Amino acid sequence: MLGKQLEATEGEPYKVHFVTEIKALQELDIASDCDALLVDYISFSNEFESILGWLKREKVRPAILGIFQRQEDLSDAADFVSALDEFVLLDSMRSAECLLRIARTIERCERERALVMDQNLLQSLLESIPDAVYFKDDKSRFMRVSKAMLLKYGKDFESIRGMTDFDLFTDEHARPAYEDEMEIMRTGKAIVGKLEKETLKSGKVKWVNTTKVPLSDERGRIIGTLGISRDISDLQEAQENLRAERNLFRSILNNLPDRIYVKDLQGQYLRANPSQIQFLGAPSEKAVIGTTMFDHLKDEASRRAFAIEAQIIREIKPLLNKEYSHLKRNGESVWYLTSKVPFFDEAGELVGTIGISRDITFQKQTELRLREAIQTLEETKLQMIEVEKFNTIGRMAAGIAHEVKNPLAVVSLGLEFLEDKLKAEAKLSELVIDMKTAIEKANTIIFDLMDYSASREDSMVAQDINTQIKRILKLMQHNFEKGGVMVCPEFSEEALWVEMEPSRMEQVFMNLFLNALAVMPRGGDLTVRTRAERLKQAGANVSAKITERFRIGDHLAIIEIEDSGSGIDPAHADKIFDPFFSTRSTEDGTGLGLSVTRNIVEMHRGLITLENRLDQRGACASLIFPITQKS
Amino acid sequence: MKKDQKNTPCRVLVIDDEAPFTRMLKMNLEDGGDYCVEVVNESPKACAVARSFKPDIILLDVVMPEADGGDVATRIREHPATAGIPIIFVSAMVSRKESGAGLYQSGGEHFLAKPVSRKVLTDSISEVLGGKH
Repeated sequence: MLGKQLEATEGEPYKVHFVTEIKALQELDIASDCDALLVDYISFSNEFESILGWLKREKVRPAILGIFQRQEDLSDAADFVSALDEFVLLDSMRSAECLLRIARTIERCERERALVMDQNLLQSLLESIPDAVYFKDDKSRFMRVSKAMLLKYGKDFESIRGMTDFDLFTDEHARPAYEDEMEIMRTGKAIVGKLEKETLKSGKVKWVNTTKVPLSDERGRIIGTLGISRDISDLQEAQENLRAERNLFRSILNNLPDRIYVKDLQGQYLRANPSQIQFLGAPSEKAVIGTTMFDHLKDEASRRAFAIEAQIIREIKPLLNKEYSHLKRNGESVWYLTSKVPFFDEAGELVGTIGISRDITFQKQTELRLREAIQTLEETKLQMIEVEKFNTIGRMAAGIAHEVKNPLAVVSLGLEFLEDKLKAEAKLSELVIDMKTAIEKANTIIFDLMDYSASREDSMVAQDINTQIKRILKLMQHNFEKGGVMVCPEFSEEALWVEMEPSRMEQVFMNLFLNALAVMPRGGDLTVRTRAERLKQAGANVSAKITERFRIGDHLAIIEIEDSGSGIDPAHADKIFDPFFSTRSTEDGTGLGLSVTRNIVEMHRGLITLENRLDQRGACASLIFPITQKS
Repeated sequence: MKKDQKNTPCRVLVIDDEAPFTRMLKMNLEDGGDYCVEVVNESPKACAVARSFKPDIILLDVVMPEADGGDVATRIREHPATAGIPIIFVSAMVSRKESGAGLYQSGGEHFLAKPVSRKVLTDSISEVLGGKH
């Protein structure tokens, strides 16, 4: 009957299941199908225990109402009633009253369930959230806190209740926190995401990110605060480390004298340190970022850098410790030791290149000077060997002169004796003349040898080399005329004063002119050219062979003697100054002429080279002597 | 200059360790009969021979083993018997310039370079002796 009334209720009709057996009850889906369970006491009093047991296992518990006949039944079933949410009395309550009671009970039970749910949620939150969550009253005393907070500060729920921040922290944190909370209470405004430094009584420091909101009662009155503080000490430490790292990186970039630069895949600067900015001639890093080296330096070095970086990106291979020269705008030459490596981002993606270049100009120059010094040393060594050779030849020459001239003297006197005796025999006397000529020749060789190793201690005087040459030309005038050689003198206007031993210098030019005559058997031209020059750069304007003999700034007398003969066979070029080397038949000379000539030139701190003329029309002997002050 | 036939031949003492040279020199000078040549090949004996031979002139080699030309000249000039005899040094150790001139003087001494022709030799002897022979 009650069921019929429920079903007939207007508005929200109830759906009613009638269950007469407990078994059927258990098959129902209580959670979704059932808001209330009406249990008839008469029918189910014996099975009520098992009904309650079954309900406990269900997720959602419906409202349970008992159906009793009379008021008296209630007292008989005290246990049963205490487990109920409500009851209806069929005898004393009208059906409308019963329905109202059922509806209210359902509502009440739903409210209670929601409350329990809320409590559970809050409990779960406080139990499991890793942040410190705390409810405080209007005096900033803890009312409830999260389990994480209890663990963090080593308290239990009972001991923390009633405490304030002043009990946990030093004043440094407790004071501003207290003031914040009072402010929230006064204004009702929340504080969101505030970074706080908590110094515990133990001295330990924690960094937290805190949000605090006002706590209101059901009537909207502010009764306290709710706070949540997330420990970000680790994050803070990481940030601190990051900052230190960044600082270190910046210090390295800014203070290293090396050029450091980071470029993207297109060769555009991502970073450049002050040294690099200065190198590019840019006013600031801002003026460099996003530009390429080309935008600043349109030179070979830029093209080279570009090519190298392209290769690094292509091959993903670093380039280490390569030396490059670079011509600065002011013409100065600098050297850099450069390393470049591929640059990867955190994801391992190739994003550009990192380079470092160190100025090694000083080391390079030192190396160069060292190399030059070694070369000079090497040359000095060779010169000393040469000198030693001369000395040895000198000693030999003296010995040979003595040993050979004695037999020559014997033969020559013997021949004279025979010559007298053989005057009548024309043929034989001719033979004697030949023999005398041969002895003359042998004697000349000995003299040449003695000259070659002649003493260098002769007295030197300053003389105008032009005058000297002119005198010899005049002396040999007859030879030139006879040989059909036309002399073309091109003397410098000014006198060229050279320290010399005049008779030896005479021999030099005599030898060279005789050589010239010999290479022009059918006549030709002989040009004698002299000039003064100042050595500006080693090997630049006089002879490539000049190295250490003359210093930059030296004043030099330069004499060039050009013939129009057959020139020098390249195969002989190395040997022309060697003693006893001659291209002519032995009747003409001993082959000592040029080596003696060179010896004398070197004795005068000079240099002689013999090369083919540039126009290939003969040979040119170039002599260079240091110019001296007129004494 | 040719020697007068009536005159006694010029007495020449040659002091030189080179025996072939001295032999050749003697042969050449004595060939015309104008000279009488005595030879010493061992320089230590030179002074004694000079004293006994009494030459008009001495041709003295410079480079010799044992006593060299300088030593021999000194000793000859120290001895009163030989002090006034003129000496011509004959040496292989002279330069081209010096040798070209025939007889030449250096440091107050007369020099001749080897090899030497008979003419240069006889002219030099005459020059040094100042026409005495």
